[in-house]
Amino acid sequence: MSSSASRPQVVKRSWLICLTLVVLSVLASLLIGAGDVSPGRSAQALWSGADSEARFIVMELRWPRTLLGAMVGMALGAAGVILQSATRNPLAEPGLLGVSAGASFAVVLAISLGSSAATLNLGVAVAGALAGCFLVLLVTQLRGIGSDPVRLILVGAAFTSMLMAISTLILLSDQRSADEMRFWVIGALAGRPTETAYSSAPGVLLGLLLMLPLIRPLAALALGERVATGLGHHPQLTRMSALVCVAILVGTATAAAGPIAFVGLIVPFVARRLVGPDIRRTLWLSLLIGPIIILFADTISRLVVKPYELPIGVVTAFIGAPILIAVVRGHRLPTL
Amino acid sequence: MTALPTLPTRPVVSEAPAGYAWWRFGRYSILVHRRAWSSGFLLIAAMIIVSGISLASGAAGLSPWTALAAAIGQGEPMHVFLVQELRLQRLIAGLLTGAALGVAGCLLQTLARNRLATPGIIGIDDGATAFAVASIVAIPTTLAPSALALTGAATAAGLAFGLSGGAGARGYRFIVVGIAVGALFGALTNLMLARTDMDSANQAYPWTVGSLNARPAQAVWLLGIGLLAGLPVAKYLGRALTLMRFSDSVATGLGVPLKRMRVMTLLLTVFLTALAVAVVGPVGLIALAAPEVARYLVGHQGVPVFNAALAGATLMSLADWVGRTLMAPIEIPVGVIMAVIGGPYLLWILLRPSARRAP
Amino acid sequence: MSLLSSLLTNRPDHEVSLAAQSLSLGYPAVSIIENLSLHIPPGKVTAIVGPNGCGKSTLLAGLSRLHKPSQGTVVLNGKDINRLPSRQVARELALLPQEASAPEGLTVAELIQFGRQPHQGILRQWSEGDQAIVEAALAVADLTGLADRPLESMSGGQRQRAWIAMAIAQQTPLLLLDEPTSALDLGHQIEVFELIRQLAAVGKTVVMVVHDLSSACRYADHLVAMQAGRIVAEGAPSRIVTPALVEQLYGVKCILLEDPHSGTPIIAGVTRLG
Repeated sequence: MSSSASRPQVVKRSWLICLTLVVLSVLASLLIGAGDVSPGRSAQALWSGADSEARFIVMELRWPRTLLGAMVGMALGAAGVILQSATRNPLAEPGLLGVSAGASFAVVLAISLGSSAATLNLGVAVAGALAGCFLVLLVTQLRGIGSDPVRLILVGAAFTSMLMAISTLILLSDQRSADEMRFWVIGALAGRPTETAYSSAPGVLLGLLLMLPLIRPLAALALGERVATGLGHHPQLTRMSALVCVAILVGTATAAAGPIAFVGLIVPFVARRLVGPDIRRTLWLSLLIGPIIILFADTISRLVVKPYELPIGVVTAFIGAPILIAVVRGHRLPTL
Repeated sequence: MTALPTLPTRPVVSEAPAGYAWWRFGRYSILVHRRAWSSGFLLIAAMIIVSGISLASGAAGLSPWTALAAAIGQGEPMHVFLVQELRLQRLIAGLLTGAALGVAGCLLQTLARNRLATPGIIGIDDGATAFAVASIVAIPTTLAPSALALTGAATAAGLAFGLSGGAGARGYRFIVVGIAVGALFGALTNLMLARTDMDSANQAYPWTVGSLNARPAQAVWLLGIGLLAGLPVAKYLGRALTLMRFSDSVATGLGVPLKRMRVMTLLLTVFLTALAVAVVGPVGLIALAAPEVARYLVGHQGVPVFNAALAGATLMSLADWVGRTLMAPIEIPVGVIMAVIGGPYLLWILLRPSARRAP
Repeated sequence: MSLLSSLLTNRPDHEVSLAAQSLSLGYPAVSIIENLSLHIPPGKVTAIVGPNGCGKSTLLAGLSRLHKPSQGTVVLNGKDINRLPSRQVARELALLPQEASAPEGLTVAELIQFGRQPHQGILRQWSEGDQAIVEAALAVADLTGLADRPLESMSGGQRQRAWIAMAIAQQTPLLLLDEPTSALDLGHQIEVFELIRQLAAVGKTVVMVVHDLSSACRYADHLVAMQAGRIVAEGAPSRIVTPALVEQLYGVKCILLEDPHSGTPIIAGVTRLG
């Protein structure tokens, strides 16, 4: 971003770049795979139905997966932006704060109590995510840790490790759960039922709709609680609704693809770098950046350990951890 | 000018500072914190009791006393065989790893002036684990896991320390950088496990949760030797570390060569953590809980190195015993037990109002 | 024998010397002090004064080996202070830094006991001498009754006296204090300055950074006036402090009066330069 360009120009350029990247990432996700169907064959299959094997792989396997990835990316990216605004914390990330852990733990619990993964209700995951969000809220409100960006991360880490340990306990005690659960404790887009993408669409849509009326109050909240009150907003209410919104988005994404860490950190970070800190700009852009990150990460995850696939969370961790370090190393932690 | 006060008329009583016992031999003298010693004995007693229970329980139940007697070669040959050949090794591995992690946690917490800065949270465990897993699955090598764990731990510690600009600086920064480094190494471990065939992945699985089930005998030996060498050094560093709990300038003013002490402390922490992780895998919460128990019992301002070792040993063998018996015959890895107990505890530390202050 | 002289170094004939030779201090990008030479007069109270940012605290940090010089040396008793073992320096030079902070729950007596650490070792952990000195330091700082109080429960003045007592217990011929009276009210300021005078009276060499010029004149034997990293004047306060110097240092006009009690200069009638 050159300093000579004015803000609107920068924003416009960022949108163009991101749109191009979205197209590229979708194409990459459709054409590149871990198997032995070459990108060229996949491309041909897109246009003509002659190669039935390639066509099946591209249209029946990769297309739903790409769609799911885009959906999950939008949900996690937007959730990251909202959560960071609501907590005014540049380190807040649904995965790091235990929201994803809450969601996947709820899923695990439900499976072990007899529900089957295929018919699993989204509601369970959303409830788990809500519980995770509630913890975040509790922590920020209870001890005034909201102003200490870093301590929140530690609370999330503690919460996550505890839930993962309990999940392991369940896994050890119940072999049937263990097999189905492996799905949920490792975030991955692969191997999800085809309908997952379609069934999670309403959840993502609902979350995004709920988000709309929150944008202005959140932007005001960035100036501080008192200023926001002075401008006629209700900071507490805003924050609560924002967290509900985050819970729906993260719960849906986690139910569909398992916990994928660091996306909610990477997306707002990139968006802020591109168009500045104002949520009115970053939020919309995050809807593009999220899918880009997820789809490229997913494509990479197919290539690294051919013919196997890597959990996508491993790839996002490799991108996200350096960003986390960069943010903490910043001379002054920006308060959002 | 006001008149100078004069010496008190009563003779100065030669006595030790409050709470200390004092012995003198000519020009040599030793100060002993009474509560440190009494809690040390308490912890030793607890350790013996836990050891007895741990040795006694298993598929063939014995009484704790029979088990302890069998451990030193007394009693029925059958029992002696059972205890000495099968259970004792595991117990010793547990005691040693617990002690090493306890000391490592105690040192690092003091170094970073933050009770959350333990090897597990800083990512040292993850670094050691990643490299140890590499030695098993990814890279065909004959190097012992201990050596590679040491490399990994050193790498992770170096990264966390270097990238955050030193442990003491800027509050929690060191810790979050450490978390990120840990996440990187965790991802690396997963990457290697994903690349490999299932057989060696199963072999590597204990590394990712922390278990005393698959302890390599050689690594236990190395740990024992390392602990023997490391404890006196830790005690020596502990004296300097007591002063490092003040601000840097005060510590320097009192004659602590800060830079050297920091490097030595970090090296020793890495050394002990790596040797322990090479045996048990990442059971990081021991390093958080053991010094806390020790500090609670001792209740004074020092750096309770030995008591943290005893508390760590006790906790580790206790957690292992719980893991073995809770859902028998299924064995819960000791790392899982510690995470279930330690997680809420960690939250409690974080949510306490005074958690901001240094240990 | 006075209580105070019992607190001095156990080598009474020991002549201590501290000097800066062509000293440059700073950070990689910024130089704060360049090519400064200074000799601290033994047995006297030296005050370093100057406007904010003139480098007086940096100089003190350099003199006490907290800040490593980029060029030049600080010489303690004829040797480069940064090459001496830190413990050995701590037996010659005690330090009260500005941002002194102690672990939570530490009592006054425990704090002062830490002052004995440079004299102790693994096999010499405590002696009657240690105990006597701690008690004497408590008495000198007028803290005897407060020995077992935790540090954070005390008033600012008491806490500052406790820190000074710790430095006294170090039993060094040299004492370096960075703004020992900052954040203290008038009464507490006087208390601390009186204590410093008493220490000088029994032979301790004191170097302190002082913010207030009048106090510096009142309580120091030797004044070092700094501006922009250089020494602009040095000597006895009544000799060097002139309206011209005050103007040069702080950019203000003033009149100098004479303190009827001590005969030292007092700065009055301060106005900004037109």
